[in-house]
Amino acid sequence: MKTASVEASPAVVFRDVVKIYNGRVSALDHASFEIARGATVALLGPNGAGKSTAIDTMLGLRAPTSGLVRVLGMTPADAVAAGKIGGMVQTGGLPEGAKVSELISLFRQLYRGRRSQAELLRLAGLSELADRRVDQLSGGQTQRVRFALALAGRPELLFLDEPTAALDVEARRGFWQSVRTIAGQGTTVLFATHYLDEADANASRIIVVSHGRVLADGTPAQIKAYTSVRTIRFSMPAPDTSMLLRLPGVSDVSADGEAVAIRSGDADATLPALYALGRPVRGLEVGGGGLEEALLALTHDDTIASHSSAVAGTKAG
Amino acid sequence: MIAFLRFEIVRTLRNVRFLVMLIAFPVLLYLIYARQHGMSQGLTVATLLLVSMAVYSGMGSAMFASGPQLARERRSGWMRQLRISPISTPGWFAAKLAQAILLIIPGLAVLIALALTYGHVHLAAGQLGLLVAVLVLGAIPFCALGLVIGLMFDSQTAQVAQMITLLVLAFLGGIFIQWSSLPHGMQLIGKALPSYHLAQLGWNAAAGHALGLTDIAVLAAWTAGLAAVALWRWRSESTAA
Repeated sequence: MKTASVEASPAVVFRDVVKIYNGRVSALDHASFEIARGATVALLGPNGAGKSTAIDTMLGLRAPTSGLVRVLGMTPADAVAAGKIGGMVQTGGLPEGAKVSELISLFRQLYRGRRSQAELLRLAGLSELADRRVDQLSGGQTQRVRFALALAGRPELLFLDEPTAALDVEARRGFWQSVRTIAGQGTTVLFATHYLDEADANASRIIVVSHGRVLADGTPAQIKAYTSVRTIRFSMPAPDTSMLLRLPGVSDVSADGEAVAIRSGDADATLPALYALGRPVRGLEVGGGGLEEALLALTHDDTIASHSSAVAGTKAG
Repeated sequence: MIAFLRFEIVRTLRNVRFLVMLIAFPVLLYLIYARQHGMSQGLTVATLLLVSMAVYSGMGSAMFASGPQLARERRSGWMRQLRISPISTPGWFAAKLAQAILLIIPGLAVLIALALTYGHVHLAAGQLGLLVAVLVLGAIPFCALGLVIGLMFDSQTAQVAQMITLLVLAFLGGIFIQWSSLPHGMQLIGKALPSYHLAQLGWNAAAGHALGLTDIAVLAAWTAGLAAVALWRWRSESTAA
């Protein structure tokens, strides 16, 4: 499709984007991804991974140092001016002295009444708080108001930066229910989170970012497969790495003197087989899964080297 | 933009305490000094002081609408939320300007009412109308000044920066003390300030004299300069940080 019209363009094109702050820190380091229209996608990564910078860039709040950013086939500034995108950004405070209903009404008017006041209050779970002053709201209530503001323009593309950070369990459920309602109406949703569970439960695709780079991009099932990886560490006299590599589930073996580190996608199968070798295994440790471990698995080489030398150092001392 | 303006005014008027404080000081000074006898620049003390206090109150209210509150809302993130809404930059600036102009009206009304009753000031309807027009339009550069302060300073220093700016404008501009009694060097600085020229325009309007074109030109130059700085800060903040 060479003459892609604005309608046919992807919801987001993020190509080779670099963002450097103060000339040194690289918040985005040649990150690239595309998001199709209608998808609900999670941007998953630890704090400081570059998620917020990426979202700010797509909303036009920050200009990339280099690279291409297009939303709905337009520049972010044009999409904002046309009222086609909505966003809940981090530290999106509310104006002093205003009431919830006034604020929502203002945003409805800025977007020319694309959603009714009642619908917005209901979607954000604010019906009982409409007359409250915004400076009297709790953190979670403030977050719900910001959600209502983000929805006011019935956006084609919605950005949510850690949207549930201040919400309790009950409010979280209501929040994601509303997101599903909106996604069901055709809105493309991109949300940032550092919880794998949240990404897994609410997204059809997960983009994992760390240190400003895209580390993995796939379905929740694919991403979760990474997190089943365990690191097994032990010491063994004269380890035979090629034999260890043949154990079930093992993807990677490194040895430094007697210290051995094995990476396994199925530790339950690896461990019995390891003991069945009949060779002395001492000081065995199994490193847990989780997102951090998954990220380590994706950037593994130097990490293993540093672990094994640390173990060797302990033995020598 | 009208919706935004209404929203801004409603919530600012809720901050009644601040507005009262802003008006109380010039009103108090007026009550203390307006009954003194004497003439200066062809005006009675009561009339002279009406203009001084109205200029002071107007400067304060215009800057209040934009300065420290803007600084706080840049910090809280409200400005980020607004930037991703379809409100345009010119729309936002126009609304802030209109808000500043509307906010100076209460102080101005109180002072004029006091002058006409307590101060026994007599002004022809035309003179009074011209004076009000001068004072209202003259608030525009101070609104731009407030925006510059709100965009250049953080939430904690903006309040202090505005207070100091206001006092410098009032003292060196000849509003709290006669400009001619200032030391020579300060006179030179004072004469470059917008407050000096707004006060001159006010006194001329009240005395029925022709308005000085230089005064108008200086105020326009300040407005253009400050608006350019505000716009530059606004733009650079939206792309750089």
